[in-house]
Amino acid sequence: MAMNDVRQMAGRSVTDLPAPSLTRHRKWWGLLFVAPAVLFFAVFAIFPIGFGVYLSFTRYDLLTPPQWIGLGNYTGLFRDRAFLVAIGNTMLFVFGATVPVWVLSLWLALRFDRCFASRNIWKSLFFSPVLPPLVVVAVIWKVLLHPNGLVTGLVGPIFGVTEIRWLTDPVLSRLVMIVVNDWTMIPFFSMIWLAGLAGVPDDLRRAGELDGASDKQIFFLITLPLLKPTAVLVAALSTINAFQAFVLQYEMTPDRGGPADANLTLGLLILKYGFQYFRMGEAAAASVLLFAVILLVTAAQLWLGRQK
Amino acid sequence: MSVFGSPVRRSAALSVVMTAVVAIVFFFPIYFMLVSAFKSEPEIISQTFSFLPLDFQGLGQFQRAAEIAPLGTYLFNSSLVAAINVGVTLLFSALAGYGFAKFTFPGRTALFLFVISTMMIPTQILVVPLFVEIKLLGWVNSYQGLIVPGMMNAFGVFMMRQYVYDIPDEIIEAARADGAGEIRIFFFIVLPLLTPALASLAIIIFIWSWGNFLWPLVAVTREELAVLATGITSYTQPYQRQPMWGAAMAVATIATLPLLVLFVFFQRYLVKGLTAAAVKG
Repeated sequence: MAMNDVRQMAGRSVTDLPAPSLTRHRKWWGLLFVAPAVLFFAVFAIFPIGFGVYLSFTRYDLLTPPQWIGLGNYTGLFRDRAFLVAIGNTMLFVFGATVPVWVLSLWLALRFDRCFASRNIWKSLFFSPVLPPLVVVAVIWKVLLHPNGLVTGLVGPIFGVTEIRWLTDPVLSRLVMIVVNDWTMIPFFSMIWLAGLAGVPDDLRRAGELDGASDKQIFFLITLPLLKPTAVLVAALSTINAFQAFVLQYEMTPDRGGPADANLTLGLLILKYGFQYFRMGEAAAASVLLFAVILLVTAAQLWLGRQK
Repeated sequence: MSVFGSPVRRSAALSVVMTAVVAIVFFFPIYFMLVSAFKSEPEIISQTFSFLPLDFQGLGQFQRAAEIAPLGTYLFNSSLVAAINVGVTLLFSALAGYGFAKFTFPGRTALFLFVISTMMIPTQILVVPLFVEIKLLGWVNSYQGLIVPGMMNAFGVFMMRQYVYDIPDEIIEAARADGAGEIRIFFFIVLPLLTPALASLAIIIFIWSWGNFLWPLVAVTREELAVLATGITSYTQPYQRQPMWGAAMAVATIATLPLLVLFVFFQRYLVKGLTAAAVKG
């Protein structure tokens, strides 16, 4: 069922199921059945969005009532060094968490799509990084990347050093965040590519082989065009996820986003402003801006999905 | 001519070896976590690696983890939150899916779009206003505050609507003709037919709920309300103490174990679930 749902969401309008045939007057029962869900989302999803937009126009510290300041938070953010740094960090992270992930996850999915001895065992091992919750991923890698830890033991001898500050060096730590993210995201997106590949008929590829097409030609001219819905989904999901990233940075870097804000992402900035400095208005304004970006990506996804 | 010596065969074998190496590289950190939970502290932060513990700790690291912080409480809270999330999402989603798929009422399409549009809203965006909301409700640092705002997921409604739609109308009409009430029809006709779909949904919701970090992080600050995902930081970023890496690896193992079990026994469902869940992200 999964891939059907995925395709339906990626490509088709969600409302185009034909009307049900039970059109007797059971209006009230229908409303009653949907009421719990509708009320829940009204109170805990739609209302907070509106409330968040309102808060973004106010100064609010949780103690005194919100005070309307118009666009003050937005103009303030764009004059705020930390916010601008966070945008830069987030963009760098988004790049590192998308393009390499797309290429490597597809490449590996193609390798695992072929038949070979004990494929399922290797596939299970390869998928295993998707299992632990992200914060657990952060903890595992924090240990592996200890200045005197195992990764230093592997890499250090090449450079003749015995201590590497993976997480406290501004350049290295940014790179490390991307590598750790990609370690869990590549198998995850390979899973999605494999589900997409299962829908590419084998005989099409075989027909290409018989016509003397090279592996490259078969991939670029037959397989890839048929994978377009999957590609749109992978691109959109990885981008949206990367824009919100904060868990790895929160758990792994010094001062939650350090050193010296080198790993301060927009997601972390919202948390810091909201729950460390209690500047709810600015935190809400940053959330609204992040939401706008995510809506843009979603719109691009829907638009690309519709293109033939 | 021997087939084994042919270059094609050799390059194919090489490609399999490479694939296996890739798989091992990806799996290694998971193995590292599992084996480190049974190692001693100096063996964990070490530049060399032994595949089995040299100084086997038994369940020592797990015991240490439970002494430093209320590990049992974390485990209980994670399980409680997951159980309620799964239960509520299954029930509300099946109800709403049935309502949207088999009834006509004014505003049906609008309400459906209203519900599924919330799938596009990440928690990251909601966290500030939701926190203020639960503060106004007086729910900060309470089980209600921890559980209620996240106990339902629009993906379930979307999924259930598709499955209910496939149930033939005749079955429902026949039950009505026999005089069954609407609630009876839902619980005794519709719900049983949805069992396989509900099982998939349960796995998806469990994974989301179990790994959820952001909401527990902001909604509760009292340690007795923390879940495993937030509780694990009391080992890696302890207040006025050295980090306890062995204990952290033990807790990491506990937090991964349910997912590992699902993976081993229900790999197909888990892969499907994760792939479907991807849509929500």
